[in-house]
Amino acid sequence: MSYEPPITDYDEIVENCTCAFCGCNCDDLDYLVKDGHVVAVRHACRLGASKIMEDLDQRLVVPMIRGDDGELEEVDWDTALDKAAEYIANSVRPVFYGWSETSTECMKEGLDLGQYIGAVLDNQATICHGPSLQAVQNAGYPIQTLGEVKNRADMIVYSGSNAMNSHPRHMARYSVFPRGYFRQRGRFDRTVVTMDPKFSDTAKMSDKWIGFEQNGDYGFYNAIRAVIKGKKLTQEVISGIPREDIYELVDEMKHAEFGVLFFGLGLTHTLSKQRNIDIAIKMVMDLNKESKWGLTPMRGHFNVNGFNIFMAFETGFAFGVDFCRGYARYMLGETNTIDLLVRKEPDVFLVIAADPGAHFPNGANQHLAHIPVIQIDIHWGPSTELADVVLPGSFIGVECAGTSYRMDGVPIYMKKAIDKPETCRDDEWIVREIKERVMKLREEPNVAPKYIPNPAAE
Amino acid sequence: MKTITFDVKKRNQIALEFDEIIPDTIYTWEAEDFDKYAVPVGNSRFPLTDFFDITVEGTADSPADVKMVFNGDCGRVKYIGNKMSAGEIIVNGDADLHAGAEMSGGKMTVMGNVEAHAGREMSGGELEIYGNTKEFTGASYIGEWRGMTGGKITVHGNVGKQCGECLTGGHIHVLGDCDILAGIHMTKGVIEIDGNVNRWPGGQMKNGNIIIHGKLGRLLEGFVEEDIVTDPQIDGEIYKGRYISFKGDIALNGKGHLYLDAEKNRDKLSAWKETDDEYISLGENRKYR
Repeated sequence: MSYEPPITDYDEIVENCTCAFCGCNCDDLDYLVKDGHVVAVRHACRLGASKIMEDLDQRLVVPMIRGDDGELEEVDWDTALDKAAEYIANSVRPVFYGWSETSTECMKEGLDLGQYIGAVLDNQATICHGPSLQAVQNAGYPIQTLGEVKNRADMIVYSGSNAMNSHPRHMARYSVFPRGYFRQRGRFDRTVVTMDPKFSDTAKMSDKWIGFEQNGDYGFYNAIRAVIKGKKLTQEVISGIPREDIYELVDEMKHAEFGVLFFGLGLTHTLSKQRNIDIAIKMVMDLNKESKWGLTPMRGHFNVNGFNIFMAFETGFAFGVDFCRGYARYMLGETNTIDLLVRKEPDVFLVIAADPGAHFPNGANQHLAHIPVIQIDIHWGPSTELADVVLPGSFIGVECAGTSYRMDGVPIYMKKAIDKPETCRDDEWIVREIKERVMKLREEPNVAPKYIPNPAAE
Repeated sequence: MKTITFDVKKRNQIALEFDEIIPDTIYTWEAEDFDKYAVPVGNSRFPLTDFFDITVEGTADSPADVKMVFNGDCGRVKYIGNKMSAGEIIVNGDADLHAGAEMSGGKMTVMGNVEAHAGREMSGGELEIYGNTKEFTGASYIGEWRGMTGGKITVHGNVGKQCGECLTGGHIHVLGDCDILAGIHMTKGVIEIDGNVNRWPGGQMKNGNIIIHGKLGRLLEGFVEEDIVTDPQIDGEIYKGRYISFKGDIALNGKGHLYLDAEKNRDKLSAWKETDDEYISLGENRKYR
């Protein structure tokens, strides 16, 4: 890595800002601002810093509409918003996807619009921690805050998560290295275990690596549960791990004073999906009879958890919430964005603060190419190439304030540090404007009206 | 007997929701009632007659007197037979999600393939699928620990993941192959699989019986070998053949039974060591640092 000299040419330092990258939501960042731009970020990891420092080359700054020639043309805000509202007001199966990189305040406007028009509201959990949310709905949520982890945990287990790469400050700020109230020696007071088929960067700096075979998670956790219950294992090797090693691991877990299991997509997206998380939760419940244990999903985007908490609070369902019949409902395989797109059901797709063009499977993106796509975002990306209406938003936590939820469910207020470009608007304002224009076009909520059970009996 | 025939005119890309069109609600309906009815499609309703030619023959005094026949591809018609308690439904083609879900009586037959969630949480009646079906056959809905509690599901083809999840009663018979985690969390009832099973049937099961006539890919550690049994009698029915009987899932002190065909699953016997070599070599490559 080449040496980068420190930035010394700046006008002011904005202190205690919150990072708008991953679910760690590090709220100790200092932004170095010059001429209304963030030129450097202190305390952030490279991922967070590179996102926060503006990349004006790719910044969306003016509203655009795709013309008849297939090219995006710059238009004024009224024209773009009217076009977006027209698409939504005339839709039969609209899907509003994203929300994980915008504020909770904006989600409120989106929910109002979704309820009014009978849309499906979904976020990135549908392609990441959706199985975790399904398991939590079944088995409960033995969670703790990251502050508790820092101050109390003496055993940290990462399962299917490479925190060193995906959440670079997680270990430094919350779990492994910090000195806590009861863990004064920091790293030396903690045992770190990584469960992952790959010998990842996180595994390299762990005390123990459990390299079970790919898709062997469920069998492995089942064996752990059996050993916790005092049973003897009959197979010599379970999911690629010798049984003696499982005995040793369980003994360590049972004797931990405070253990925490952090799990990532390596657990949620292997063969057994939500049942991997289900059995991990059950394992934590079993361990709580011997010691004190908790678990936390390693959430990816800085407010992906916020959308799930907000929607669960407002509707009872964490993601993939379908309002088309006038009430909230959710069903995996039916109301999730990928399933809907692969079934080619949506006729309008609003994407806010997300990039399905980059992250969705080919089959889903193929359908997006055939329907009107409305994009609210700050950067040009693959989704912009699919979009028919582009509405430039603002950067939460940098250009405008808002609330987000950390991976452990702690709400954090993200303050504004600089002004947004003059031609951009806040996400919240954009969604509210679309909502009001849709309401003008459709004077009554557009949901399938209540059914008369038996017209013949009337 | 009233026979209502739905001939598919147009296959809509956005799924039609048929939860309101079951024998329980339409047994008094005449042809003009169907003409007036608008079916939910996305956030709107459209006339049912846009999608089907409907003919009504005969009369019915109760839902049990109704026979609904669907001719054509109903691969985009959800909730067929959802919550029905009596009568008969025949689908001469494919059916979409939730076919026969939460039904408590009557009979439903699908001659083609069925999407996921077939027969979820059904409590009675009979669902027969001649093609394949996908995930969560006879399972519980998310957040619920009681899946199918009664009735019978017969699938002549293959089924997807988590068939009979949280099964609390009833009988599921799969004549084809089955994907992972059949009978996960089950507490009662019987799952019978004629074909091969991918892996891990009966994960975290507390009670109930799973009979596998084909070959099982991988068994969970939570199952303890009990005995080799011949012609076991389960819930009053005799299953011909020799089976290895396992008890599990001991990871949660379960008392369920898993019967594996003894000939096809000899490698699962503790006395059989041939395939262990493969696992040991895997383990040696994956030792801790």
